[in-house]
Amino acid sequence: MAQRRFWSLRPSTAREVAEAIFANFLLHWFPARMRASSLAWLPTFWLGTATWVLFVVLLLSGLPLMVFYIPSVEDAYRSVKDIEHVVSFGWWLRAVHRLGAHLMVITVTLHLARVFLTGAYKNAPGGYQRREWNWVIGVAMLFSTLLLSFTGYLLPWDQLAYWAVTVGTGIVSSAPVAGAILRETLIGGREIGEATLVRFYLLHIVVLPIAVAVLFGYHMWRVRKDGGLAHGDGDDGRAEVPAIPMVVRRIAVVTMATVLAVTVLAIFIPSPLLDPANPDVTPNPAKAPWYFLWLQEVVTDTTVRIGPVRVNGALVGGVILPLALSVLLTLWPWLDRSPAGTAGVAFPRERRIQNAVFLAMVLAIVALTVVGLMRGPSWGLWWPWESWPAMPTRL
Amino acid sequence: MEPDHPSQPGRRSVLVRLGTAAGAAALAAQGGIVARSLVANVSYDTPSRMKLGLPEAFPDGLTLVPDARLFVSRRGKRFRVLSAVCTHLGCTVRVEASLRPDPTDPDARKATQVFELACPCHGSRYRADGANLSGPAPRPLPAYRLILAPGDGQLVVDLDDEVDPGAELTVP
Repeated sequence: MAQRRFWSLRPSTAREVAEAIFANFLLHWFPARMRASSLAWLPTFWLGTATWVLFVVLLLSGLPLMVFYIPSVEDAYRSVKDIEHVVSFGWWLRAVHRLGAHLMVITVTLHLARVFLTGAYKNAPGGYQRREWNWVIGVAMLFSTLLLSFTGYLLPWDQLAYWAVTVGTGIVSSAPVAGAILRETLIGGREIGEATLVRFYLLHIVVLPIAVAVLFGYHMWRVRKDGGLAHGDGDDGRAEVPAIPMVVRRIAVVTMATVLAVTVLAIFIPSPLLDPANPDVTPNPAKAPWYFLWLQEVVTDTTVRIGPVRVNGALVGGVILPLALSVLLTLWPWLDRSPAGTAGVAFPRERRIQNAVFLAMVLAIVALTVVGLMRGPSWGLWWPWESWPAMPTRL
Repeated sequence: MEPDHPSQPGRRSVLVRLGTAAGAAALAAQGGIVARSLVANVSYDTPSRMKLGLPEAFPDGLTLVPDARLFVSRRGKRFRVLSAVCTHLGCTVRVEASLRPDPTDPDARKATQVFELACPCHGSRYRADGANLSGPAPRPLPAYRLILAPGDGQLVVDLDDEVDPGAELTVP
């Protein structure tokens, strides 16, 4: 039989499946045969794949934006205004980039929640896996995603950007001992300005994307080393299917659905651009990005008096609580004592308490986010159907 | 080749350990150098000691100094300067006027206008003298030393010199 010049997406023999995997750089990620249960839609919702697709969409939409964006205090706002109003389809590219970032925060969070609720970070009984480390890498990618989104938030240099970063870096400075020097290092001085913009820009376009790409590569490699997804542990190789075309087809469907969602949403949801950044006037209200609204509520409500000392809510809600939650989240696989047989099982009886506590915390975060969304002028609470009173914007 | 022995490491293993240690030390030093370079040595921020203008340029009451995030408070010939940066998370506070019942009027028919400073970010409120009244602000707004420049008589503030909130500069 003559050897095929190219690998085939419709292999007819097991040998052709293997050849396709070996010959293709991207397909090399996958084993030649995969458990059929790994490809099911339901347990995973393919959220990890959707997150990666969004990351690629962000890389691709970020490139043309970098052609026009100028990272300087003088020109940043004007260049974003140009992208929005002058560059052909610039508004759409910016909307794709912005919505892709928001969706990536959502999908990576949902992916983490799914892995937690199904105990997919657990190893099979007597297993050789080290899935707990992949959970740690996943948590690191969640934080990298949040940082990517936050560093991108400053770049338009409008009022929304300036004050979100003022509050965010204010939280950093409330950390004990090293807070002030950390903030100065992050923003390159005592005031948010040119140095801050350059630092955030470099983090946004170089440091963090490379970090996510490397972590993702390691994440995928670990999935293979750990013998695939946890919910397929019980299959024992009975129901295996060739990776090509089965997994490629599914990935193509997830990719198309994700790209379609971002493309269409970007047409209908425009990206805001407020007035240029003005350190003298804080908008009323000034809000954090939606994924940090719950933290903004916590920093508002946790200034407490202990004896003669008044402890800043920024320290309690901005440093101590998030740090404690992050450490708990990272170390959870080692604290989880449920039996190994529950790995990859959705809502098993043995894990009902920890799943209930996890869901209660998620609900609390969602509730605080809703309260944050309802904040209006002078930090009052307003129903969505109520109109805000006219407030003076300048003295 | 001299064989390694647990109690007497051979030349090869000593060299490997030395090389590893030297490599690790070099990496740590280079990491430290890069981290140190990120801490700015020169500040292009607003200088901590600056001229605000002539005293007569400020009307009675509170005036926001643009780009400096400071309030100059004037009562006749007495001047104070107050930070406009909220002590909670660094937003710029704004002056808000509201009418309150006059405490000297027993029938509560008269109203008096009260000025307060409000932070739009998380709702902290301060009295006009900077004392924190409500909201998450942990401390009063700091007041800074104010002097008259010997040459041109302008008000000069020193942001590195925090003073008692009641301290005032009386201009002749």
